[in-house]
Order: sequence, then structure tokens, then C-alpha cells
Amino acid sequence: MSWLVIRFERRGAARYLSHLDTARALQRTFARAGLQLALTEGMRPKPRFSLGLPLPVGVAGLDELAAAELAADQPGGSAEILARLAAAAPEGLLPLAVEVSGKRVRLEPLAADYECLVSVPAAELLTAAQEFAHADSALIERVSPKGRREVDLKRFVVGVDVAPADEGSVLRFTVRHRADGAARPDEVVRELLRRAECEEDVASLVTRVNVVYDGLPVGAYGRESERS
Amino acid sequence: MGGEFNVRRKPTAEPLIVLSYPDVYEIGISNPALQILYCHINDATPAAAERAYCPWPDMADLMRAQHVPLWTLETGRPVRDAALWGFTLPHETTYTNVLEMLHLAGVPLHAEERGEDDPVVLGGGPAMANPLPMRPFFDAFFIGEVEGRLDALVGAARAGTRAARLRALARVPGVWVPGEPLEKPVERQVFADFSDSSPVTRPLVPLLEAIHDRVVLEVARGCTAGCRFCQAGMWYRPVRERPVDAIVEAADEALRQTGCDEVSLMSLSSCDYSDIEEAVRRVGELRPGLRVSLPSLRVDSAAISLARMGSAQRGSVTLAPEAGRQPMRDAINKRVDDAMLTAAAAATFGGGFTGLKLYFMIGLPGEDDEDVRAIAAVTSAMRNVARSIAGGRARVSAAVSAFVPKAATPFQWERFAGEEEVTRRQRLLRDVWPRGVKLSMHDARAAVVEARLAVGGEELGALVEAAWRRGARFDGWSEHFSLERWELAAGDAGMSLQDGSESSASAAGAAATFSRPLPWERVIDPLLDTDFLAAERERSRSGVLTDDCRQGDCTACGVCRPGVKMDLAR
Repeated sequence: MSWLVIRFERRGAARYLSHLDTARALQRTFARAGLQLALTEGMRPKPRFSLGLPLPVGVAGLDELAAAELAADQPGGSAEILARLAAAAPEGLLPLAVEVSGKRVRLEPLAADYECLVSVPAAELLTAAQEFAHADSALIERVSPKGRREVDLKRFVVGVDVAPADEGSVLRFTVRHRADGAARPDEVVRELLRRAECEEDVASLVTRVNVVYDGLPVGAYGRESERS
Repeated sequence: MGGEFNVRRKPTAEPLIVLSYPDVYEIGISNPALQILYCHINDATPAAAERAYCPWPDMADLMRAQHVPLWTLETGRPVRDAALWGFTLPHETTYTNVLEMLHLAGVPLHAEERGEDDPVVLGGGPAMANPLPMRPFFDAFFIGEVEGRLDALVGAARAGTRAARLRALARVPGVWVPGEPLEKPVERQVFADFSDSSPVTRPLVPLLEAIHDRVVLEVARGCTAGCRFCQAGMWYRPVRERPVDAIVEAADEALRQTGCDEVSLMSLSSCDYSDIEEAVRRVGELRPGLRVSLPSLRVDSAAISLARMGSAQRGSVTLAPEAGRQPMRDAINKRVDDAMLTAAAAATFGGGFTGLKLYFMIGLPGEDDEDVRAIAAVTSAMRNVARSIAGGRARVSAAVSAFVPKAATPFQWERFAGEEEVTRRQRLLRDVWPRGVKLSMHDARAAVVEARLAVGGEELGALVEAAWRRGARFDGWSEHFSLERWELAAGDAGMSLQDGSESSASAAGAAATFSRPLPWERVIDPLLDTDFLAAERERSRSGVLTDDCRQGDCTACGVCRPGVKMDLAR
């Protein structure tokens, strides 16, 4: 049994996949690579495979991690595994690095950095971003299948800044994942646009730049160091 | 969305051929015909085949609002840029989606209004037994199986101007260009080399969840069991089988290329395939835990084969008893009895399969209420057999469709029972339905439209267009289908939804005056003798059975001729 951590990118049209479809597509990539995943015991065996942190629909990811267990060790090690996965992967889901671990890896996200391109000039957003940064609280309403509730974005969002970009600006922020939850990137973007009194249908494109996991050193799996 | 596993991209290849299935992506991506065409055109010809499916209404509305024309999944090019745009037309409820897609692409609905910048729009597929209702919207139709003529079609698509393309197409056997004078009806094309050809081994595999997530291998084509309502059985004769070695080899390669964990051995009647037991066993052994499924099986052959398949199977078996009682089965030429049904169910679960799907039909000619109730009784018996062998793990489900007369079948002269009557019989069935068995039923209101279009003539093009103009699309989906809308459309077009108009087949009446040709017979030659179809209809009324020429004598259906014959694996 060998445990793997796979670092991958999700971009292009693949950003519109759901979390489940992404997981399924990656599992199928293993099958096409001739790498059999170990199965859980019990009534309905499932492949031992999980994504570190779900990517919301519409969000590209540059630095995503997945954990998997193979049914058997692979001769050729991580280099061979990476080559086979890369050859079998669909466009838009690109395996970047593979590391074999002697024991099961638990991926527990602590924080995630996001970049969002918006078609609004930086000057319009800057004030809103600064207000948000200095505010004590920022309440929004979250509607989910479980009902409606109030969420204070300030509990979960830090490091908001705005910079100019071609055709608009780049909004950057970090979401903290805490025991009582996290903020969704689209909630943050929507709130900042609302504070800047922007129009409803501003085009925005969100990319998750990296994710910080508990216990994993910076630079693990070939990752560049995160912004602090 | 595109970006599938095994997608082909040839952005600079010429000509551009767009292939479409007129329904939503999740349905269309699994269509075997498009997979065959897509893979062949891309892998074996210089042309590029790219795909477009019908956008869901919310997407279509957004596209219109933002003036974004229909684009191809592979390269995002406007579909209108194609030299040739091919639609596979599976059945009548997709017709309004064709118009929807033409409109979204910016292509004029009427063939005669198209100009140099518009693609040549070609229709094909199962509905070609009677393409007349769609005549105004297509520049050409391909009648029958296209594989043998695909290279010629691609060649025609290379011609420089639109007119030249159409002229070249008209010269390809099997192509009907409406408006061009016909010396004789266009002959249905049969892919005679089917047995020597390879099934698709590197199909498109979607990233999104599609309705089927398995490798589909066509083990045989055609069926001569002769069920009298069945258009596919009449239209795809004669039977041609692939050798079992080729099937196993293709399964291995396809599993490697797709990463699927299920293989479906597809044909109209897989237990009739000469080497079915060997195929199931050897394919099942290719991977640990591999599921092998057998779609719609005929009960008589299934009973025998399944029992011999060994106990390591998984997946599900589909049987199509169609009728609940023997006289009805004889009338439709189903050579099964209750004992065989029980044996087939026992063999299914005894063979380790975990699911049994049953197909039935109501509204058949000569049916009475007892026949309808008998369907529930038969299902109940199947469920009891399932439980006694497989206990709680046994899953039995049933789908009951409404009989709709189809062109090129012995029942093409029969009537659709009507919405009211079908609904009444459906209610009757629900009242006596056994517990624990899932039941899905055909929408009787949609059947009204299907019945009108299936055996109607070219004047129905106005009806289809009127319906689409009133907002009809995705008519195969109950959440979108509206009979009221179609009734209003019928008013717009000056016709009735119930048969009784001049061109309707059943206006020929119950009297055996088959002298007047049915509307499509002037244009389409299904290769079957009309005398054979008429004789079969007579035999159905007297409950006389007709043999399957695979095992029995030739039934003189008229299909076989030089270059077209049965080709069995053994």
C-alpha cells in the first residue's frame, strides 16, 4: 500500500466542474494510467482518494492537493506515477507533482489565497477594500439547503488588497478555514463589489492561488512559498 | 463544456464538420452513433469533426440575450462556419431541438433560405424511416447506416462552394436531397462490412456525469426476430455480427482508453449474438471486478444463455416481454411464454446479475384491459422469482411505453390509441402494480405528438416549426413538454394533432387497400417489401407467428440482395 499526495492544477473550462466531478475525473485519470486505487472496506467499497479542499464551481486552482492510496506499490516510484497521470489526464486537470509517503496523509486546510480579476477599475475598489479591512464586522446572508444564516466575513477573511490589471483590477484575499467554517470566495467578491456600489453583473474570474495545510511545510510537493 | 478524455482537436483541418445530437450534452455525449462518426472522421480522414449539443433553455436564452451563436466544443468556433453540419435524429421529440439549434447557430431554418455562408445541413439516424416532417429544415438526408459512405460524405464536404457540396452529396448513394427529382426512392444503406470493422475503442469520456458511464461495444447490428411494432428490427436488417475475438480485444483497449469499470455489450438483442456466453465470460475476465451489462434482451434467447453464464456476473439485464398475455404476444410476434419469462428471470439472478429491467408496451392493436393488468401480474411473478433467488439484493424495475405506430413496420397502418385511452390504461396498471418494483411510464401527452410525427408527411414541417415558434423545445423532457402548446401550434398550422388528415397513414383505413403508398414510400426504400409488411400485419390479426430467419426459414422480407446479407459470427 502506498500513499500519495498529488499536486495538480485545475484551469480552463475545467474550472466549471463540480467538486464531485473533479474527484471523479481524477479517479478516472488513475484508471486510465493503469494505476489501481485501493478500496475502502465495507458494503460499498469506494476508492481511497480525496481532495484536500473542494474547489467551488467556477474557480480555477493553481496549487491543489489530493491524497490517494494505491492498491500496490509502483516500481518506478513517484516519477513514473506522475508521468503516467500526466499522460492520462484530461486537459484542464494537470498533475504537477507526486510524492509517495510511507503512511496515510491527512490534508487539513488552514487557509487559502485567492486572486480575482474584476472588470472594475482599481480606484473604485480600493476604498471599499480599505473599509472592509478596517471594519469590525462584515455581515452577509448565506443561503444554503439548510436555510439562511448570517455570516461575519471578517472572521474568515484577511489580507484584502486591490491592484490594477489589464481591463480592470486584481482583488486578492486570504480565507481562513476555522472550526466553525470559512468564507466562500464568491461571497467575498460580492461583498466588496457591493460596498464599492458596483453594478450587479460585473464579470469576475476567481483563481485559488494556493492552500495552506496543517502540518505541511512550506515548499512541500514542489510548491512555492505562500504569501504571508 | 468539452475537454473530455479522448477529445480530438484539429483546429487547422479542413473541412470542418459539426456533429450534433439534438438534446442536452449529458444525453448526447453517450450516443454511440456520434461516437462512431466523431472517431472515424477525426482519426481516419483529413476533416475535423467537432460537436455541438442543444443548450439547456436557460443557457439558450442567455446566448440569445448576449448574441452568442452556437459554438463547437472542441475549438469554440461558430457552428455556422462548418462546411457540413450533421444531425443524428433519434426520434420525434427531438425535432424542435433541431430548430432551436439552427436558430441559435444563426442558420436559416428553411433550407431554401440558406446562403453561401451557411453549412450544408444533413440529417440521419433512426428517424430516417420517415424523415418527411423535417424536410423543410434539412439540405439533405442520409438514409440508413453511414459508415460505408462516410469517406464519400467527407469528400463531398470538401467541395468549394455550397452548391458544389450539395451536388457532390447528391451523388453519394443513400443521400436524399429534397427538391431534387428522384428516379426512384432512395435505398436504405446497409454497412455490409460491419462484421470486419472494429468497434469504437477510444470514445469520448465526459468529465461531467453522463447518464451512462461505461464502455459500449456494438457486438452485432440488426435483428430479425420480427417483432411487429419494432422499427429498429425492421430498419437495421440483416443481422451482422462481430467475431468474439474482436470484441474481447476491443474491450481491453477501450477499458485502457477510458478507465471505465463497466462494459455494455450492445446490440438490438444481445443474447441472440452467437457467442454471447464466451463474450461475457472473456470480457468479464479482463479486469478484476469488471461489470458486464446486457441491454435489452429477447426473453427466449436470454433464458438459455444467461443460465450458462456462470455466477460471477454483476450489472443488470434488460428483458423486453412487451405484453402481459400470450395472444397479445403472438400478435406482436414475440415468441415467448410465461415459462420462458420465469426461466429468464431465474437465469438472470442465478447468473449473479443484480438488476432486472423489464420493458412493456400498452396501446397495442387489439389490446384489452386484461392484457394491461396482466403486465402487472407478469412483473409480480418476476419480482417473486428475483426475491427467491437473490433476496433483498434483487432490483426489479419496469418501463411501460405507449405504442406509437412507426414507418417501415407492419404496424405502420395501425392507429395510436389516443391520449385519453393511454392515460386510462396507465391508471389501470398503476392500480394493480406490485409493490417494491419501480415503474416508469411514457408520457401519454408526448406520445400524441410522436404519433402524429412518426407516420405523417411533409406538411408536418409547418407543425414542428409552429410548435418551436411557440416555445417548444426539449419535448422529450416532461418538465418542458406542453401538449397545449402543440395544440395551439396545430391551430397555427391549420391542422389537427389527432390523425385523420389526408396524409396520415391510418386514413388508408382498416380495409386492406394498400394500393395507395404511404407518404414516405415515394422517397425512402427501406429494402423491405411492402407486401411483407402487409402480410405481417395480417398475420398479427390472426395471431400467427413468423420465424426468425437466423434459426428458421427465410421469411422473404425482401432485404437480402447482392451485397446485403446476414453475417453471423458462427
